[in-house]
Amino acid sequence: MSAQDKKPIDPITVEVIGSALQSIVEEMGEALVRASYSTNIKERRDCSTALFDHRGNTLCQAEHIPMHLGSFLGVIPAIRERFDMEDIKAGDVFMANDAYAGGATHLPDIVLAEPIFVGGQLVAWAVNTAHHSDFADRGHQHIYQEGLRIPPVRLYREGVLNNDLQEMFLLNCQVPRERISDLRAQMSANRLCVQRMTDLCEKYGTEKVLAAGDALQDYAERKMRAAIAAIPDGTYRFEDQFDSNQWPDAMTLKVDITVTGDEMLLAFDGPPQVRGGLNLIYTSLLAAAYFTVKSVLDPSVLPNAGLARPLSVTAPKGSILNCAHPAAVEGRIAASQRVTDLVYGALAKALPGKVMAAGNGCCTGATFNGTDEDGGIWVYLETIGGGGGARPSADGLSGIHVGLTNTSNLPVEALELEYPLTLLRYELVQDSAGQGEYRGGMGVRRVYRAEKACRFTVESSRVASRPWGLEGGGKAGGAILDFGDDRTDFSGMVDLKPGQIVSITTPGGGGYGDPSGRTKDAVARDLAEGRISPEAARTAYGVEA
Amino acid sequence: MAWRIGVDSGGTFTDVCLFDEDSGKVEIWKVSSTPDDPSRGITTGVVEGLDQVGKTAKDLSLLGHGTTVATNALIELRGVKTGLIVSDGFRDLLEIGRQKRPNLYDMMAEKPEQLVSRDLRREVPERMKYDGSVDVPLDVDALRAELQLLAGEDIKSLAVCFLYGFLNTEHEELAKRVIAEELPDVFVSTSHDVAPEFREFERLSTTVVNAYLGPVMQRYIRRLKENLDEIGLEIAPQLTQSNGGVIGFDTAANLPVRTVLSGPSTGVVAAQAIGKMSGFDNIITFDVGGTSSDVALLQNGVCQLTGEADVHGYPIKAPMLDIHTVGAGGGSIANVDTGGLLKVGPRSAGAHPGPVCYGLGSTEPTVTDANIVLQTLNPVEILGGRMKVRRDLAVESVQRLADSLGLGVMEAAQGIISVVTANMAKAIRVISVQRGHDPRDYALMAFGGAGPLHAARLARELDMGKVIVPLTPGTLCALGLLLTDLRADFAISRLLPLDDSARDAIESGFADLVGQAEAWLDNEGIAEDRRVLTRTADMRYMGQNYELSVAVPAGPITAETFRQLEEGFEAAHRQRFGFIAEGEQIQLVTLRLEAAGVVNKAEFKPQPEEGPDASAAQIATRDVWMAEAGDFVPAGVYAREKLRPGNVIEGPAIVEQMDTTTVILPDMTGTVDPYLNLILEVKA
Repeated sequence: MSAQDKKPIDPITVEVIGSALQSIVEEMGEALVRASYSTNIKERRDCSTALFDHRGNTLCQAEHIPMHLGSFLGVIPAIRERFDMEDIKAGDVFMANDAYAGGATHLPDIVLAEPIFVGGQLVAWAVNTAHHSDFADRGHQHIYQEGLRIPPVRLYREGVLNNDLQEMFLLNCQVPRERISDLRAQMSANRLCVQRMTDLCEKYGTEKVLAAGDALQDYAERKMRAAIAAIPDGTYRFEDQFDSNQWPDAMTLKVDITVTGDEMLLAFDGPPQVRGGLNLIYTSLLAAAYFTVKSVLDPSVLPNAGLARPLSVTAPKGSILNCAHPAAVEGRIAASQRVTDLVYGALAKALPGKVMAAGNGCCTGATFNGTDEDGGIWVYLETIGGGGGARPSADGLSGIHVGLTNTSNLPVEALELEYPLTLLRYELVQDSAGQGEYRGGMGVRRVYRAEKACRFTVESSRVASRPWGLEGGGKAGGAILDFGDDRTDFSGMVDLKPGQIVSITTPGGGGYGDPSGRTKDAVARDLAEGRISPEAARTAYGVEA
Repeated sequence: MAWRIGVDSGGTFTDVCLFDEDSGKVEIWKVSSTPDDPSRGITTGVVEGLDQVGKTAKDLSLLGHGTTVATNALIELRGVKTGLIVSDGFRDLLEIGRQKRPNLYDMMAEKPEQLVSRDLRREVPERMKYDGSVDVPLDVDALRAELQLLAGEDIKSLAVCFLYGFLNTEHEELAKRVIAEELPDVFVSTSHDVAPEFREFERLSTTVVNAYLGPVMQRYIRRLKENLDEIGLEIAPQLTQSNGGVIGFDTAANLPVRTVLSGPSTGVVAAQAIGKMSGFDNIITFDVGGTSSDVALLQNGVCQLTGEADVHGYPIKAPMLDIHTVGAGGGSIANVDTGGLLKVGPRSAGAHPGPVCYGLGSTEPTVTDANIVLQTLNPVEILGGRMKVRRDLAVESVQRLADSLGLGVMEAAQGIISVVTANMAKAIRVISVQRGHDPRDYALMAFGGAGPLHAARLARELDMGKVIVPLTPGTLCALGLLLTDLRADFAISRLLPLDDSARDAIESGFADLVGQAEAWLDNEGIAEDRRVLTRTADMRYMGQNYELSVAVPAGPITAETFRQLEEGFEAAHRQRFGFIAEGEQIQLVTLRLEAAGVVNKAEFKPQPEEGPDASAAQIATRDVWMAEAGDFVPAGVYAREKLRPGNVIEGPAIVEQMDTTTVILPDMTGTVDPYLNLILEVKA
C-alpha cells in the first residue's frame, strides 16, 4: 500500500491526533513503571508500551526500549491467525511470550495485548511488554529449557480473569509475587490506553482517528524515503566479529546494504544457529535494523510501521541472525547489538561524517539468584552500560547504554536493600576509550560482593573483538571479567560464596579520526582527569605528562 | 499606611507589583532588567514603583522577590569551581547517572556538562550499610589529605554525598566538621542537609547543583541587600522558592537549589488566590511566554508538590510545585518537515530578532506571526501601542509555509495555531489525565503574555467549560509574591510498614522534623500564632518504588491514624492507577512536614456590578479570521482597562491590554467579575 492510494486528511488534523496518540502511549508507560513491583521495571524501566492499528501495524510506541519493538511486531498477526476475529471481544486480554508463536523475542518479555472497540468496531490494540526477571538459572540448549512458552492466549475473556491459566503461569515462575504484581501493572497500563483511545474516537470520530493513524504511517514512510534517497545508490558492505563469554568461538557476521533510489535492502549473513541462548528470531533482527537505520538517517521519524516500508531485511533461515525452532533465544540482545554495529559500519561508508564509531556493542547483563530464609527464590537481573562511540565532532559518551537497550541502573541504595549484595565500586575505566581526534566513551567497572551464597552469571561480549574506530580512530578496551578466582571460562551459572567478590568491566567506545588530530588541551584534560594514563598520552597522542 | 511590593526579575523585564494594605489598590510597574547585575534593575523598579504611589522604601511592610539568578547560572554554567567528596568507589556516579543516554535515537545528543570535573571528585574510605549501620568508618586522615589536594585546586565550593547519608548522617556531619577546619572559606553542601532522601544519584546531583550555585547566590543576595539597605528598606526581604513559598535571604543563600524552579511558581500562587476569591477551586493554570508554556493543576485550590524534576538535564530533588513545561510559546517557529507535516517549536525566535512581524530580519513564521495574519493580534501595533508590527512580512512568511503544505495562507496560519494548541493540550494531559484528573472538571486560568490569546482554543480542545483571564496576566508572578506565605518543607526517609509497629518511629520522625521546622520559624522570626505545620507521608505498596503522598491527620499517631492513612493511600492509588492491591502490605517511605509562617497577604475587594453593557469599552471593530466561519468576521475590540464589573462581551471579540490580548471565540461570551477578572464561557 503506498502513500498515494489513500484519501487525504489535512496535515493539521494528523498532527493534532498524532500528539494525542503519543500522550496515550507515554501515559501507559508511566503507569506501568509506577505501579510495578520488580526492580527491573520500577527502577530499570525495562518495559515498553504501544498502540497498534486495527490491522496489526505499529501506530505509536513510547520511547523506552527499542528492542521491544521486536516483541510487538509478531503479536497481533499471531492473534489474528490463531483466533476467529469475530470471537474477539472487548475486555479480552491476550498474553504471549513465545518467540516462535508470535510472542516476544525471548521468554521473559511478556506481552499483554487488548483490543480496543469503539461502537462495536475494532479500532486499535493496546499493547505493552515488560521484561519479567524470572526464568533464571535455566538451560539454553534450546527454547524448551528457557522457561514457560506461552503462545497468544486469553488471560482475560471479556474482562474476566482466566485464573487457571494465571495459576499455571505463576507456578512456572520463580518469583510469583513479583510476576502477579507486574502483570497487574501491565493490565492497568492497557486499561488506561483503552479508555483514552475510546475518548479520542468519541472526540474526533472514529473514521478521522483511523485516517490519521494511516496518515501518520504514510508520513513516517515519506520521511524515511526522503532520507534514503539522499544516500548515493550502491552496495555498502561491512563485517564484524561476534564473541560472547557464553560461547567458545567468535563468529563472523556480515551485512550488504543496497540502496536503490528511496529503498534500502539490508542483507545479513551469519553462521548457523547455535545450541546456546544467542540466536535471534527474525523480529529481533527487524527491531535492530529498524532502530539503527532510523537513528542514523533521521532520529525524528516516528517509530511506526511506516518507517519499515522502504526497508527489506533478510538473513538465511536457520542462521544465528534468523533462527528456527527450537533454537534458544534468551540472550538475543547480544547478537542484536552486533547487528546495530554492522549497520552503523556499512552506513559509515555510505554517509561518511554522519555515523559514529562503534559503541560498547553489548548489553552486559548480570543475573544473581538465590533462596531466602523462608525458602522463597529471589532473582536479580541488571544490565551495565559502557562507552558510546566517538562522534564525528564530539567524544563518545561514557557509561551509557547503546543500541537496542536503554535501561536504567538500579540505585545502590535500592539494590542493597532488596538483595544480599553489596556494590563496592561503580566507576569509569581508565584507557578504556578508543583513541582518536575524538575519543570514544569510557567503559564501566562494577564490583559486587555476595553477602550470602547465591548463583550468578554474566552475559558479555566484545571480550576478544573490541569496538572499532572510524576514520583512523582506535579500538576501545574490551570486556574484562573477574569472578574473584582463577577461572578462565566465564560461561554458565556459577556458585558464589558469601564474601566472594566479582568484577565486571564493560567495553568502551571506538575513537573517531586520527589521534594526532586531538587538541593538546583535550589530551591534557583527559590526563588530569585520569581518563587516560600518562603512558597512553605519550604513545597515542605524543603528549608527555 | 503600609504597602507591600512584589518584584519579579525576568530576562527582559523586571515586574513590580504594589499593593496598598488599606485600600486594596494594586499598581503595576515595569522596568528593563539589568542582566549583568539584576540587583540594579530590582532596586530601580522598587524606587520607581514606590514613586508612582508617592511612597518610599520605609513605607514597605513586605518585599517579596522572585529571581532567576540560580536558574540562569545553572543553564549558562556560570557556577563556581566545585569539588566533591564521595564514598570510595563512587566518584563517577555523578557522570554515569542512571546510565541512560540522553536521547534514545539521536546519537549526537550530549549529556549535560559535568559540574565537577573528574579530578575534583575525590573518594574517601567510608561505607554505610543499607540499614544505616557503619560498615567502614570514615577515614578522617584520608579525608584531610583529599581536602588539602582540593585546597591546592582553589575550589570555591564543596559537595559531600555518602551512600545512605539520608539514613545515617554521622559521616557527612563529621566530614563537614573536618572541612570547616581545613577549608574554612569554602561553601559546603552535604547531601543530608540538601536532599535527605533515598536514591543516591538524584541526591548527589541535587547536592552538587546546590554547591555549584551556592556562592553565586550568596554574592547576589549580598549585593541586593546592600542596594536595598541604601534605599532605606527596613524590613527583611524574602525570596521565592520552587515550592511556591518564600524564605528569608539567609536560607536562600544556603539552599539555592530550592529556587531553581521558582520562576513560574508565584504565578501559580497568584492563580490560586485569584481562583479562590472568584469562586474557582479546581483550576488548570496556563502561563505562556515567548518560548514555553508552564501548566499546573490545582485541585480544591491546592497545587500538589512534587519531589523531583529534571532541570536542564540535572535531576533535582527539592519540594516544588508540580509545574509542567512544554516548548510552545509565542516565539515558537513553524516549519514543514521532510515528511510534509506542519511542526511548531520547540525552536523559538526568542526576543531578538523575534517573530517575522517585528521586522528585525527573521523569515521563519512563528506563532505570533500566525496571530498577526489571523488578526487575532493587532495587525498594526502591539504592547499597547509600544511596538509597530509588519503584517505584510508575516503574511509572506506564512505564505511560503502554506505553499509547501498545499494550503491557503489563512488555513496555514490557522494550522499553526491548531498545532501549537495540540502541543499545549499534550502538556495539560500530562498534569491532568495522566494524574487521574479530568480537565473537564477544571477551569483554565490563562496568563503570561500569550496565554489569553490561546486559552479559548485550548479550552475547546480539552472540552473545558470556563477560562479565567486575570486582570494583570502579564505580571501575575509579581502579584503572586504578595499572596504567598513563608514556607519550608522538611523530609526524612524512613522505610516502615504501615502498621502499629511503626508508631514510635513515626512519632519520633515527625518530632525531629518539627524540631527542624520550629528552628527555621524562630530564625525567620515568625510568631507562635502564625505557624502552621502540615504533615504528610509518602507511601507505596511494599515492593513498589514510586510513592503517593497522603495527609497525616493532626494529633498523636493512633490506630485511627493508620486507618485514615490506609484509606487515603488506597484512594490515591485508585485515582492514579485505577486499582488497589488488596491484602498487600503498605509501606511508609518518607515523612514530610510543611512549615508555613502565615503572613498578611494582599486582599482584593470586590467592586459593584455596573451592568452588562460593555459598549463603553469598545474601541474598534476588526476583521478577525475565525476557523469556524472559514473567513474573516467582524469582531468587537475592547480595551481591558475600560471594562467594568458585570460587563458582558459576545464573541467573536478581542480584548486588548498592554500586556496581553484575549480572544473570545464566536460561540463564547466574556463576563467581567467583581474582581475585574474576565471569565469566558461557552454560550448556553
